[in-house]
Amino acid sequence: MRRFLSILSATAFSAVFSATLLPGAALAGEASVPVLVPLTGFLSLEGTSQRNGAVLALKDAPAGVAVRSEVIDTGTSPEAAVTALERAAGGKVTAVAASMLGTQMLAMLPLAQDYGIPLVTVSGTASITEQNNPWVFRFFPGDAVTKEAHARYVTEELGKKRPAVIYQTTAYGQSGKAHLEQAFKTLGVEPVFEEGVDPAAKDLLPVLTKALAAKPDVLVLHLHSGPTALFIRQAAANGVAVPIVAGSAMHQPSTAALLEPAELKGVCAETAASPISGGSPEMEAFTAAYRAAFNAEPDAFALGQYDSIRMVLAAVQGGADSAEAVRKALSGGTHQGLAMTYKSDGKGNMAHSAVIVCYDGASRVPSITKRYDNLTGVVTGMVK
Amino acid sequence: MVAALLAYALLYASPYGLRVLTVAGVYALAAIGFQIVFGLGGALSLAHGAFFGLGAYATGILGSQWGWGFAATFPVSLLVPLLLALLVGLPVLRLESHYFALATLGIAQVVHLLAVNSPALTGGANGLPGVPGIVLFGWAVPRGLPLAAVVWGFVALGGLLAWRLARGRWGRALTLVRDDPLAAGTLGLDVGGLRLAAFALSAVYAGAAGALAVHTQRVVSPEVLEFPVMVSVLTIAVVGGRGRVAGAILGAVLLLHLPEWFRFLERSYLIVYGVALLATIVLAPHGLTGLLDRLFPARPAPLPKPEAPSGLAIANGPLLRVEGLTKGFGGVRAVDGVSLTLKAGTITGLIGPNGSGKTTLVNLISGLETPDGGRVLMGSADLAGQRPDRIARAGIARTFQAVSLPEGASVLAAVAAARLERDGSIAQAEAHALWALERLGAADLAAKPCAGLPAALRRRVELARALARQPAVLLLDEPAAGLTDGEKAELAGHLRAIAATGTALLVVEHDMGFLLPLAGHVLCLDQGRPLYEGPPEGVRSDPAVVAAYLGEGAR
Amino acid sequence: MITLQLLVNGLALGAAYALVALGFVLVLNATAAVNFAQGDLVMAGGLLGVALAPHLPGYLPLPGLLLLPVVLVLMAGLGLLLAVAAYLPLRRRPPVAVFISTIAAGIILQNGASVLFGPEPRAAPPLLGGGTLDLGGLVVAEQSLAIIAVAALLIAGQQWLFGRTQLGRRLRATAQDPEMARACGVPVTAMILITFALGTAFAGAAGLLLANRYFVTPTAGGDLILKAYIAVTIGGWGSVPGAVAGALLIALFEVGVSSVLSYPVALGLLYATLLVILVARPQGLFGEAARRRA
Repeated sequence: MRRFLSILSATAFSAVFSATLLPGAALAGEASVPVLVPLTGFLSLEGTSQRNGAVLALKDAPAGVAVRSEVIDTGTSPEAAVTALERAAGGKVTAVAASMLGTQMLAMLPLAQDYGIPLVTVSGTASITEQNNPWVFRFFPGDAVTKEAHARYVTEELGKKRPAVIYQTTAYGQSGKAHLEQAFKTLGVEPVFEEGVDPAAKDLLPVLTKALAAKPDVLVLHLHSGPTALFIRQAAANGVAVPIVAGSAMHQPSTAALLEPAELKGVCAETAASPISGGSPEMEAFTAAYRAAFNAEPDAFALGQYDSIRMVLAAVQGGADSAEAVRKALSGGTHQGLAMTYKSDGKGNMAHSAVIVCYDGASRVPSITKRYDNLTGVVTGMVK
Repeated sequence: MVAALLAYALLYASPYGLRVLTVAGVYALAAIGFQIVFGLGGALSLAHGAFFGLGAYATGILGSQWGWGFAATFPVSLLVPLLLALLVGLPVLRLESHYFALATLGIAQVVHLLAVNSPALTGGANGLPGVPGIVLFGWAVPRGLPLAAVVWGFVALGGLLAWRLARGRWGRALTLVRDDPLAAGTLGLDVGGLRLAAFALSAVYAGAAGALAVHTQRVVSPEVLEFPVMVSVLTIAVVGGRGRVAGAILGAVLLLHLPEWFRFLERSYLIVYGVALLATIVLAPHGLTGLLDRLFPARPAPLPKPEAPSGLAIANGPLLRVEGLTKGFGGVRAVDGVSLTLKAGTITGLIGPNGSGKTTLVNLISGLETPDGGRVLMGSADLAGQRPDRIARAGIARTFQAVSLPEGASVLAAVAAARLERDGSIAQAEAHALWALERLGAADLAAKPCAGLPAALRRRVELARALARQPAVLLLDEPAAGLTDGEKAELAGHLRAIAATGTALLVVEHDMGFLLPLAGHVLCLDQGRPLYEGPPEGVRSDPAVVAAYLGEGAR
Repeated sequence: MITLQLLVNGLALGAAYALVALGFVLVLNATAAVNFAQGDLVMAGGLLGVALAPHLPGYLPLPGLLLLPVVLVLMAGLGLLLAVAAYLPLRRRPPVAVFISTIAAGIILQNGASVLFGPEPRAAPPLLGGGTLDLGGLVVAEQSLAIIAVAALLIAGQQWLFGRTQLGRRLRATAQDPEMARACGVPVTAMILITFALGTAFAGAAGLLLANRYFVTPTAGGDLILKAYIAVTIGGWGSVPGAVAGALLIALFEVGVSSVLSYPVALGLLYATLLVILVARPQGLFGEAARRRA
């Protein structure tokens, strides 16, 4: 048995830890960045974006930085995430691209502190930066940021006063709902309807019917990709005239791919960024490279993870030769990323911008309608 | 196996290896509990994952929100699942096989819904962080080797307890309840009580495992209540070897390590895991322990010395009086006001055409059916409507028309099952069982497996099992069916010998050539009503009996 | 009006669930084994539809309807494969071994689909058209009507096959008592293979039907197997009409009750109803039909 094990792990290491050395260039540093993300289970869509973003950043590492990496699936259980981190910690680690599932992050945090490994993630949920743990860096606006943008757009730009909030009964949905509630309260608006939807629910006509019965002037969604598309399609089929402002899952190109452009007319969504919407030559280059590498459309999670790894690698290029040095660089530095400028608020929250994208009914590519910068919210845990 | 695990943990394992080993320990403990309810008790409890999750949440909430320490949270984590198991066990355990499985699944789903939708208490779908580690007598157990050692210490403790229980009388009794609940009841075993105890004990194991799981991962979230946990435990139990403690441990170690070995395949590793799982179950359908048993067969245990049980004192005169017993199914009166008296040392024949109510009468007396009216008196006690095990304990034993013996057991073990309720140890029960086999001239069968015995020998073994109860009253349902003339003669001799010790026999039989010379008294039923009662000589000449049998004829 | 609309939606969902449960119960009756891969087979059928759709010539009308027989045939083939790999080697073993082997098959299907198709939710083409019909103010998706019609046709076809044909009599004989059937000269192994093919084809049809309106992801199977299991048990272990009734009952809670109460409450009530039914009628709504072996 042991012999079998050692043969296997030997193959594993030769297959996975392939160093991409740049020929000729003087070595500015070495970076070992394991990618521990959910590739199976209900978050595999987002986890795959994370993986792709991280892998792309590692593939075009800055000059002189030698990169080693391996991708490990964390599934959806905290236990699997901790095991994956423990496995990665067996070697020398510069930083870890860590799962966007908040619960998994919470489980990994104490271990990351023990080992002294910076975790860079695009998780927007859960109070992962509220644990007084200096080793976590959130490269995606937390729910406190995105939901403030979400609520402000609904009330300030659209002038709506009677929102109906429909959220998923998952970590993503419950956290989003709690922060939406908070943000609306600050704005002096009270939702006329709030309901959680099980992610396994097939038909959303019942909840749509109930929401409309409350006479809302806007439908505010915080659902995962499939349910968001389903809801929008059923609303379109029933000729619902109330505008829809959805959560970040709407901006994922795979969500729009499920719908006809006409069904999307007038729908808006909050997100950190929308790479496919373009905006700068760098962004377009990123999107092109992503498409070429993975035959898929990039989303904000991919971009956030890409930006985060770029910042890690830049730190290594800048001389950060240990995990501790990288942690310092991340917590003290500023990084001009593709999605936004990242800078820690002292707790590891790096992203403070969110955008609202809207669909025109002719294309599945949204355009950025409104940008919110310098939002400073604190993501709270669920316990009030 | 223990030595191999220990050597691996101490010498080779990295922190990562120890982490996987620790998690394997958690699942091993949960699977040991599952072996009790599912492996031994045969009840597919799909609430096992819920009990695991409840233990996890008890520790998670009390530890992270209330600041309780391990010494306080751990007992609560055992208690909460136990209470739920006792609460739901009573109504749910009455259900059979898949209905029981579905009911427990429903309970598990409700618990999961509550956990996800009560954010104020449970943290909702996000769960709760900040669960403290294990503190044993003031020593905060660090992760790595110490944590693995503590978890596996619990596995060893729980495993030892379960192993002793499984090998002991309780485990044997539970196995019989699984294989043949009807027979178990008629052998004096409290089927409901045994099932409830197994269900409750399994919940305690699951709760303990859940508590250790959150101490290991330091976060509690609804994942601990989700169906995959349940499926993992079930898979571990079956792949390891159903009903075996060693199976739970082997299965957990294998199945938790299996995916880790293929991690380098990135997204495809679970495909390989699935193929490996399929290959394992095809190659070892009785589990890893079953495979090991086949590769290294255990030496047969030496037979005990036969020993006559200290007999119940059987009084002279009437032992059992049945008065006006009545039972209807739908509109049909299957048994309609039947009375009879069985006297010590006598053999009574019960005859009648097919469907005349003979077997129903035996079922009513032995408690497998509840009578609509009438009395079953043993001495002054009315047993009518009592549970089968109570009736069996009062001194009534029976055999079945369709013999059912536990296929996996040896003949000796099958007969010894009759003594579990009465004897102090397995050894004593087997000594008494061998005595019973010897009395029927079947001692040479003792070491043989029940599976594959020819019909005549199966009847013999079943009779030995009933005899081992040393019954005051013995009810035999067609004991001669399928026997050759020689075997029938031999059986008649045995029955006379049994009666000679004072036992009262009631023999249901079609074969008049066998029965009439044997019985001192005959009762003939037709459509549930007594048609003839009297000496055997009068049966063939009674016009009513002849008419009832008509073409079937008094052979 | 909205009630009628919910009713149509609920019927459509229930009809699709009924196909899933029907495939499950056919295999259960023929083999006394629980096919735990049934949910993943539904997912596979849906993704098969998604994969085949681009290969259909675009000038043909009704692409989804043309896909249906293709999916049925290919899925029947997959069912044969499943039977050969996960059932036949274990047929003389305890039924719980088949439980585990089909769990393994499900893991292989789910992760194979994830590697082949990626994790994105996908939509299969509609059977007739993706539009809606306005029937005097009642907005009904064409796909909903198509689901109900196709499911009804397939279920009626199954009833006809089992009730009126020589093959059906042999299949029923196998389901009732394989030993007796074998003694009477029925090729039992072939009948079991046909049952697996049929059950899997039904799963595939359900997958294709569901994957248009409700999309399909590689992880969709886990939820469906739970629902099939509930439908089959609630209706009476092994009873075909019971399975259909059970499926409709689940849909009633998902679409009907949840239109009055919240989703989590409706789900909780479904399980509560389940427990009440079990306590009141311990043999399921339609009584037990399957042989008991385990």
